[in-house]
Amino acid sequence: MRIAVSGLGVVSALGVGVERNFAALAAEQTGVSPAPSLLETSHRLPVGELQLTNEELHALCGVPFSEHLSRTALLGLLAVREAMKDARLPQGLRVGLVSATSVGGMDLTEHFFRSFVEDDTTGRLRDVKMHDCAASTEVIATYCGIKGYRTTISTACSSSANAILLGMKLLRHHLLDAVVVGGTDALSAFTLNGFQSLMILDSEPSRPFDASRRGLNLGEGAGYVVLQREGELSHEPYCYVAGAANSNDAHHQTASSEEGEGAYRAMLGALQAGGVAPSEVDYINVHGTGTGNNDLSEGRAMCRLFGDEMPLFSSTKGFTGHTLAAAGGIEAVFSVLSIARGVVYANLRFREPIPEHGLCPVAHHRTACEIRTVLSNSFGFGGNCSSVLFTK
Amino acid sequence: MVCYVGKCCTHGEVQSELKSLIPDAGLRRRMSRVVKMAVSTAVESLGGVAEIEQVDAILTATGWGCLADSEKFLHNLITEQEQLLNPTPFIQSTFNTVGGQIALLGHNHGYNMTYVNRGHSFEDALLDGMMRLADGESKRILLGAFDELTPTVERITERMGWWRNHQKGEGAAFMTLTAEREAESVARVVKLDFLREELSEAELRSRYALSEETMIRCCDEKEVPFYPTFAATRFVEAVRCIEKGAKEVLLYNKCMGDNPTVMLLQWLG
Repeated sequence: MRIAVSGLGVVSALGVGVERNFAALAAEQTGVSPAPSLLETSHRLPVGELQLTNEELHALCGVPFSEHLSRTALLGLLAVREAMKDARLPQGLRVGLVSATSVGGMDLTEHFFRSFVEDDTTGRLRDVKMHDCAASTEVIATYCGIKGYRTTISTACSSSANAILLGMKLLRHHLLDAVVVGGTDALSAFTLNGFQSLMILDSEPSRPFDASRRGLNLGEGAGYVVLQREGELSHEPYCYVAGAANSNDAHHQTASSEEGEGAYRAMLGALQAGGVAPSEVDYINVHGTGTGNNDLSEGRAMCRLFGDEMPLFSSTKGFTGHTLAAAGGIEAVFSVLSIARGVVYANLRFREPIPEHGLCPVAHHRTACEIRTVLSNSFGFGGNCSSVLFTK
Repeated sequence: MVCYVGKCCTHGEVQSELKSLIPDAGLRRRMSRVVKMAVSTAVESLGGVAEIEQVDAILTATGWGCLADSEKFLHNLITEQEQLLNPTPFIQSTFNTVGGQIALLGHNHGYNMTYVNRGHSFEDALLDGMMRLADGESKRILLGAFDELTPTVERITERMGWWRNHQKGEGAAFMTLTAEREAESVARVVKLDFLREELSEAELRSRYALSEETMIRCCDEKEVPFYPTFAATRFVEAVRCIEKGAKEVLLYNKCMGDNPTVMLLQWLG
């Protein structure tokens, strides 16, 4: 049974909506700004921040303004609503939601904590009610009228890819007729300081897969796709999700193994699940964060799997920043569009290959490509490595 | 879908010493209380670190995640004004820390997933596990859940009025699931349902055609500890009931206002 992609929705630093994002990608215009302008922080570091306040996001979502709705939920709501509208789901389907997030309502919790640490009788309780990951999922489901099975996955930066993987299974087991899968994460002082304390944030715009790379830039956003069983759509699908796999690197809590064992197994597993040979892959939307460790390890895993037949590949994190749990969802939308529109995205700011593996990503946007098969990689803390395979 | 439950263990049942369950001193030192609690329960349930390699998937569930580390990092961030922060609590604060640490401890490259979905996080992980076993993607799965109650959350939830009607609590519970009946199998799961509405005991008995003997256990009674993944501990208790002679136990979980779930466990005869 093939699983088809019937709808797309995305929000990132590039803007709100599929067309806004695609136009910026095609024009090679980054969404990464030199420093946060909305996030409350003392750090002056480049971030992929959506330049819309929470008030503006409420208005776009068409929901009454509340100071107690997390930014993560608002971003997710925008993307899910777009994806569902795009899928044109008929009445009567059992529609579910598998949503991924790693920060949840941390933006509101930070607000609460600032007064709570001074005096534990203070801090507005409504600000912590959205702390848990499931809170954003429930808000999205409620406002989008999703009444079927819903769950929340949180495996750090591979979360959204894992949501896609689960969504496929829910359809194959006929537990749902359509499922919205993907993830959402807002920028937060918590994650910005977390990655800063690990010393893996670049003080300049990131340079994924470049010899001079110095780290990642954080981003925010949400990306979701609607999945349905083949033959049950109301219109032509964008493409199919042929397979997905997850494997653990089992090397270190945050760093990737030198040979990228988990990455290799995840990519191989996705290809095997889809019955596709490595030589058939046309494009890889790599995890490519821009850290010394990831890009070396991921590249080595690619060399091991593809040998001399390296497919075209690029990291789109130079455009969006690393959006953590949302990355796999946003990049799934980009991967689907690569097949549907025959394009390969630029890997921004690439100049020199990493000497250890010598791999060269696509440096500039390409159009009129015949892209039939795309792998999308997402790797996270806890050794969690996932890869999703899209086919025409 | 049917799956078999093998060895299982709650945190309260752990007998072995922490050092033997988590032999890597470096890993152990960096682990927070809840991570130690969960990982040690997982290893005890398997019967030793060497057994981690024998499972082909690790599924974890948590409603709150690694709270103490999240709180510590947030506290430091505010009090130190974002300067010179220790990364360890940040690193350990992710929801999949427990699943990742178990994999790391046992060099397990298998499927590794974490569900964070309030009162039915455990059932979501169980569903994934049952689908994997039914599809032949896994033969032997480690499944478990954990939640901790920190002083901060205790204080916040006290202000929310939780403890007027509920017992405070925390816990961890782990088990192995297999597709086929094995020598160590003690029970089978024959039903996992996500309901759209609440059902009374009489309605449950008629919908699931339960006999008079079937025990019905709720996961959100006043007398039991209140935390998101208590259902996992309740599940192990149900297995213990079956080991002592019960033929069938139905678990009904409506924890934290979510739609109820039903898990039906049976003896193996």
